Amino acid sequence: MNDKNKHPGVPEESAMSGKIDYEEIRKLVGLLEEKNLSVFELEVEGLKVKIGRNAPAPAPAAAVQAAPPAPATPESAAAAEARALAVEAAKGHHLITSPMVGTFYRAPDPSAAPFVDIGDVVKKGQTLCIIEAMKLMNEIEADVDGTVVEVYVDNARPVEYGQKLFAILPGE
Amino acid sequence: MISKILVANRGEIALRIIRSARELGIKTVAVYSEADRRSLHALLADEKVCIGPAKASESYLNIANILSAAEITGADAVHPGYGFLAENAKFAEICETQGLTFIGPPPSIIRLMGDKNKARQAMKKAGLPILPGSDKTVDDISEARKIASKIGFPVIIKAAAGGGGKGMRICRSASQLEDQFPIAQGEAKAAFSDASLYIEKFVSGARHIEIQVCGDRKGKVTAFGERECSVQRKYQKLIEETPSPFIDEKTRKRIIKEVEEAASEVGYKSLGTFEFLVDENHKFYFMEANARVQVEHPITEMVYGINLIKAQIRIAAGEKFGFPFELEMRGHAIECRINAEDPMTFVPSPGRIDFLVLPGGEGIRVDSAAYGGWVVPPDYDSLVAKIIAYAPSRDLAIRKMRAALETTTVVGIKTNIPLHLNILSNTDFLAGNYHTQFMEEVMAARAAEEAL
Repeated sequence: MNDKNKHPGVPEESAMSGKIDYEEIRKLVGLLEEKNLSVFELEVEGLKVKIGRNAPAPAPAAAVQAAPPAPATPESAAAAEARALAVEAAKGHHLITSPMVGTFYRAPDPSAAPFVDIGDVVKKGQTLCIIEAMKLMNEIEADVDGTVVEVYVDNARPVEYGQKLFAILPGE
Repeated sequence: MISKILVANRGEIALRIIRSARELGIKTVAVYSEADRRSLHALLADEKVCIGPAKASESYLNIANILSAAEITGADAVHPGYGFLAENAKFAEICETQGLTFIGPPPSIIRLMGDKNKARQAMKKAGLPILPGSDKTVDDISEARKIASKIGFPVIIKAAAGGGGKGMRICRSASQLEDQFPIAQGEAKAAFSDASLYIEKFVSGARHIEIQVCGDRKGKVTAFGERECSVQRKYQKLIEETPSPFIDEKTRKRIIKEVEEAASEVGYKSLGTFEFLVDENHKFYFMEANARVQVEHPITEMVYGINLIKAQIRIAAGEKFGFPFELEMRGHAIECRINAEDPMTFVPSPGRIDFLVLPGGEGIRVDSAAYGGWVVPPDYDSLVAKIIAYAPSRDLAIRKMRAALETTTVVGIKTNIPLHLNILSNTDFLAGNYHTQFMEEVMAARAAEEAL
């Protein structure tokens, strides 16, 4: 039940290309704090950055669950999906996944415009879509401020638990 | 008519339902948790929907997500298997109001049997003998004292909402009753959110024998010959066999008839199991009825040459269903429950199965969802395979089972196969001379041996 709709012209994120400036290092340090990491290593086109910090706060349980041990051979669809999620996260995208099983709607009613589209700036708490489950319309909200960079599911398609719906580039 | 079944379960029973549905030409939808992405039921059903994280309360017990999964896939029936939502009357009711056929007994029967004390009283009224005990639930210790002194020690305290041995306590004296009653209340409250208890006379050295029933839409109930389930540890069955080496043909015929009458009386439909305690004098006492398919149903299927799951689906679909020939037990069947656990300490042993060779051949049946490379998740029960041996006689069935287990190879996790082999060569077991305290005795003997 994965609808892949690739949108050309999505702004290529993070301008890491051989050079790095103070602003970007500051962002990375911020990420380290925010994600509760102790060490962060990045290698892009010959440039290698390693940032560490002391005495990290214990990782929240949720973070542990979010990173299940990679399943062994052979790589299943699930593993491939997990890898794709990791790649998204590495790009700095924040993923909105479905909290329930149901039907995905991009707009409040069939004739209305979608709640959000690619390129839209959204605020935390803003409605992104509706998932209909058991005749109830459940509004799914953004949990970060940022820009919508990907919509993974077509309107009126069924979604399962944990399926990715949107990618948001956090910021502003 | 049923055209697509949502299987609201996992593991071997989900697979069993998927295969039976396939035989009937019915499509299946698997629901699975994030821990079961690579489990066979999710891989082999026609469609699959992830319904939540590993934790059962958020996935396999998540009614909203399961019903939504039925809706988005267009399933028109739900099979609950055993455990999880199988005996949840509210779930059965919601399925029906949503226009989904619930493949199991009607909600009223599930509700009646779910209250163990009410079930006891109803069956007494329907003509089945019950053990002396409380007529209603017992809420305080002074009442418990009164009943215990009336029926005499030892007594057993049970949770009205109970199952799986939780809230169950044997008391051999008044002082034990004082100690155990509040503990049992706490346990029942914690496990079932219902502290109601009832008290029964405890019969030591008794056997646990159960009768499979199958009721059709018209209210005709067929009961089958007994399953002997006395080999159990902490109320968890380990080995089941049919027929019981303890029951003669005359007793069997009598109990089958009594159960058929009692079950018809309460309007029993679909599959169910009536559990009895049988004392040394072959006297049967009704204990409880399970309103679902039972783990050990395959041994009944083997000796009768039937498929109970298919029967259950066809009855639910409203077919005019009857077993096609004169039902007669033939031969002997034994089931060993192979669990992912340490055979000495019983500590669960989840993890990756690196290599797996399951037994097969004439007279061997394996119901399992395990495969080499599969990771047994730590989130659910430890059952990895049911191995069933069928032969013309009990002796031959035991030999066949031993040969099957000796040639079963599981690498990567520990299993209780060594324990099974131990039981299968125990002289009391071989003589058919065992009861519900059998495993306690086996364990005590083993501990004594180790102490030397």
